[in-house]
Amino acid sequence: MTLTAEHSALATAHREALADLLLRMADDELVIGHRNSEWTGFGPILEADIAFSSMAQDEIGHAQAYYRLLQDLGHPDADTMAFARPSAKFRCSSLVCLPRGDWAFSVVRQFLYDAAESVRLEALASSSYAPLATLVRKLRGEEKYHLLHGRTWMMKLGSANDESHARMQKAIDELFPHALGLFEPTQHESAIASYGIQPRESVLLEEWRRSVEPVIREAGLRVPANASPVHGGRTGKHAPALAEMIDAMQKVYRIDPSAKW
Amino acid sequence: MHDTQWRVFEVFHQSTRGEPHVHVGSVHAPDAESAVILAKEQFSRRQACVNMWVVPAEAITATRYEDADMFQHGTDKSYREAFGYETTKRARAVGDMQEI
Repeated sequence: MTLTAEHSALATAHREALADLLLRMADDELVIGHRNSEWTGFGPILEADIAFSSMAQDEIGHAQAYYRLLQDLGHPDADTMAFARPSAKFRCSSLVCLPRGDWAFSVVRQFLYDAAESVRLEALASSSYAPLATLVRKLRGEEKYHLLHGRTWMMKLGSANDESHARMQKAIDELFPHALGLFEPTQHESAIASYGIQPRESVLLEEWRRSVEPVIREAGLRVPANASPVHGGRTGKHAPALAEMIDAMQKVYRIDPSAKW
Repeated sequence: MHDTQWRVFEVFHQSTRGEPHVHVGSVHAPDAESAVILAKEQFSRRQACVNMWVVPAEAITATRYEDADMFQHGTDKSYREAFGYETTKRARAVGDMQEI
């Protein structure tokens, strides 16, 4: 484990708090990016396929950038983190692990997820950790498009016809508890807030609700009442679907980890 | 015009503010808002863009290729060329102005 002088100067608790947050963010991005890339070649129409695949590339790019920040804190490099780590070590939320489902399921997930990411990036733009604040300010442009993409599909499919409406509602009902789980607090919650790295998850959750609920209603859909969050992802308790996905994602790398690409 | 269940929108791309919007291709989309989000990823993945237009293809009225001869000049119309200007001479010299 090698650290720069700047990072060695940080208290251990501070470094651990940073790494906890960065790992969650990076893993969420990598896994949702991979899930969304499962539409490549299968999108409902060529243009939608390309747009969705392109956003998947954006998310994987964000993951790579967060893994780089983790590397500054002493973690292995991005490739090792992505391809040589068992699924139990991932700290992604259950939302991103779910198989892609139908198109409605994937666009609702993309909307709920990117709305959460927008809220988080907005908060992190004024983080006390300068490398993170600088990075997220660069990512916000892409996020703006992702949110527009998600909102547009919500509006269109929410009211296109009875079938699209029913599929969208079913997706929202199923995904909402998992989306709430994006804000699962970890043992570093208080440290993250007190070091000024990021506000508490509960603060972001309320912000997210204020962002997504009006859109769901405007799309003619219902916000699930009394949904309770699905937790566990942030402590490595994942449904078997993640292990299957990670296995597929790491297959080629495992054939020859020393291969140069 | 409709080769799928969705309409065709022509896409125009502007690389810098003040420059003309240039036609870069078309997308299929159910409506204009969707056309914008789809066109963004088809046509600005690799090139700089500050503004994008989408226009329903059916809004465009075009001439026919059979009538291309109507654009040809039957007699010498070189008097229309602004050949007296220095810029024109320079442009001709570098070969980017075949017709004026």
